[in-house]
Amino acid sequence: MHLLKKLIVTGIFALGMAGFSSQAYASCGKITVAEMDWASAEMFAHIDKVVLENGYGCEIELVPGATMPTATSMMEKGEPDVAPELWINAVRTALDAATAEGRLHYAAEVFSDTGEEGWWIPQYVADANPEIQTVSDALARPDLFPHPEGDGGGLYTCPSGWNCQLSTGNLFRAFGGEEAGFRIIDPGSGGALAGSIAEAYEKEQGWFGYYWAPTAILGKYPMKKLSFDVPHDNEEWNSCTSQEDCANPQKNSWVVSSVYTVVTDNFKQKAGIGMDYIVKRSLPNSTINALLAWKDDNQATGEDAAYYFLENYTEWHDWVDFGARLKIENAL
Amino acid sequence: MNFTEFFTSFPEMSKSGLRAFKKSVDGAYRQFSREYGDAIEAVFDPVLYFLIWFEKLLQNSPWIVVLIVFLALIYFGSRSIYLTIGSFIAFIFIGYFGMWEDTMSTVSIIGVCTFLSIGFGIPIGILMSGSDRARASISPILDIMQTMPSFVYLIPVVMLLGIGKIPGLLAVVIYAIPPIIRLTDLGIREVDKEVLEAADAFGANRSQKLFRVQLPLALPTIFAGINQTIMMALAMVVIASMIGVKGLGQPVLKAIANQYFTMGLLNGLAIVVLAIIFDRVSQSFGKRLQQHRQGSHE
Repeated sequence: MHLLKKLIVTGIFALGMAGFSSQAYASCGKITVAEMDWASAEMFAHIDKVVLENGYGCEIELVPGATMPTATSMMEKGEPDVAPELWINAVRTALDAATAEGRLHYAAEVFSDTGEEGWWIPQYVADANPEIQTVSDALARPDLFPHPEGDGGGLYTCPSGWNCQLSTGNLFRAFGGEEAGFRIIDPGSGGALAGSIAEAYEKEQGWFGYYWAPTAILGKYPMKKLSFDVPHDNEEWNSCTSQEDCANPQKNSWVVSSVYTVVTDNFKQKAGIGMDYIVKRSLPNSTINALLAWKDDNQATGEDAAYYFLENYTEWHDWVDFGARLKIENAL
Repeated sequence: MNFTEFFTSFPEMSKSGLRAFKKSVDGAYRQFSREYGDAIEAVFDPVLYFLIWFEKLLQNSPWIVVLIVFLALIYFGSRSIYLTIGSFIAFIFIGYFGMWEDTMSTVSIIGVCTFLSIGFGIPIGILMSGSDRARASISPILDIMQTMPSFVYLIPVVMLLGIGKIPGLLAVVIYAIPPIIRLTDLGIREVDKEVLEAADAFGANRSQKLFRVQLPLALPTIFAGINQTIMMALAMVVIASMIGVKGLGQPVLKAIANQYFTMGLLNGLAIVVLAIIFDRVSQSFGKRLQQHRQGSHE
């Protein structure tokens, strides 16, 4: 017990020495960052950890997160302080209210090209059937996208509880999926949805369903996003397409997926110049895809990918001031 | 390398070596699933068709017919009018709150899983009780089946067999079959040596000993195993839903993600109700079976 205490004290002392900016600790303090359970969000959480700890002297604790629970907890309890990659469409109304009240703040738009959501088919199916360009074209061919339980075609939707499950269901009705001989398949979890894409690819079978980019899966298994062939109607989207009780859904295009870093007011007060970093931290999709492909190739963790990015890329130099940059480079 | 470093950090495999190891195992698995995926899927096709047929039968038959058949089964299983009335109220509660269809899905897959578990579990348990070597080699496998986190093997299974009922069935059976195997083994091993000697003295051969002496005497323990198997199968409903099995697990997942507390509670309670009915019926059926056997021995 005594030995343990001594070890901890020595450890803290060593950490203090490594930080070598003791006055910054006082200004920033303890910050919790949500680490969401998909690849790019993991990486951003770890980038934030390294940068804020080494560059700005914060003490970062990563907490596991998922879109809805994390957003709700941030709005209601002010915890965690930072959601590095929040797909805000699912929670936009509540989030806008919270930002208007000043409890939360939008920071950087993480994907400078925005995220891509929609219905995808494997590239090999698209190549073999060049006539399939739109969602309606795909719905006309249930034979190409068979339901695993037989009888017609299947459309893989989002797992229960993800907001995209509602939008997919409503668009499925609007485009007459059932009349076309399709049924919706609920994969149950993100892992199973990804697994079903992998299965289709390994067996070169048809696959038709919801996914999003940038992700490691779409980096590894090239897919074609189908057009919905109608202009995006934002009002319809907010009032009906994305709502559970949409009585009469109309054809619509998928909304542009804004992905922001969201922080609590508490973070804004405490982090000081750390806030300057968090409003600038943004990457183009090509860079993110490359990083995710590297992560996948090397079976790396989000932490490894964060270090790989900070060591090999220079984009982040513009996010931080020169002093912080030197401290981070020293720490790497 | 140097002396202190050896003690401060564990001498671990090099990062590149570990990466190569992980990648080669993953690659080999992908190769395997690409080559044999279709063939293995074909093996499971009959089970899949049966599952789909059974689920459709329960869902598409008029609810009143299904309800009457269930109540009749419950009554003939338990011979208890109270349990039958209680089950009737429970099913009305399930139907009234709009959970009938999901409950039918759950009953169909859990029913098939339980039968498969019992059908495979009891023979394996008998095999285990007959040989210490079999027991020594099967026991660790059962330990793995009970403790390995399901998603570790489920996502590879999804890559092999796709999403839905078959991976769900495997997950449930893998988790639920160990108790019936262990308790069959235990029940048979606990049969009194003197009783077996008496059977030997009467000139009973091996199968007579097994079916007339050991199994009947082990029946209480075996039924405890069946009971545990049913309970564990129902406990897997939510996990099975995470790989696309329809049923009461899906609304539970939805409720968790959206913080719909009432919806979660209602569907959770429906699972509990099913568990209690299955449990009480199988227990009283087991008890009656033993009384019947004991009666015939006297």
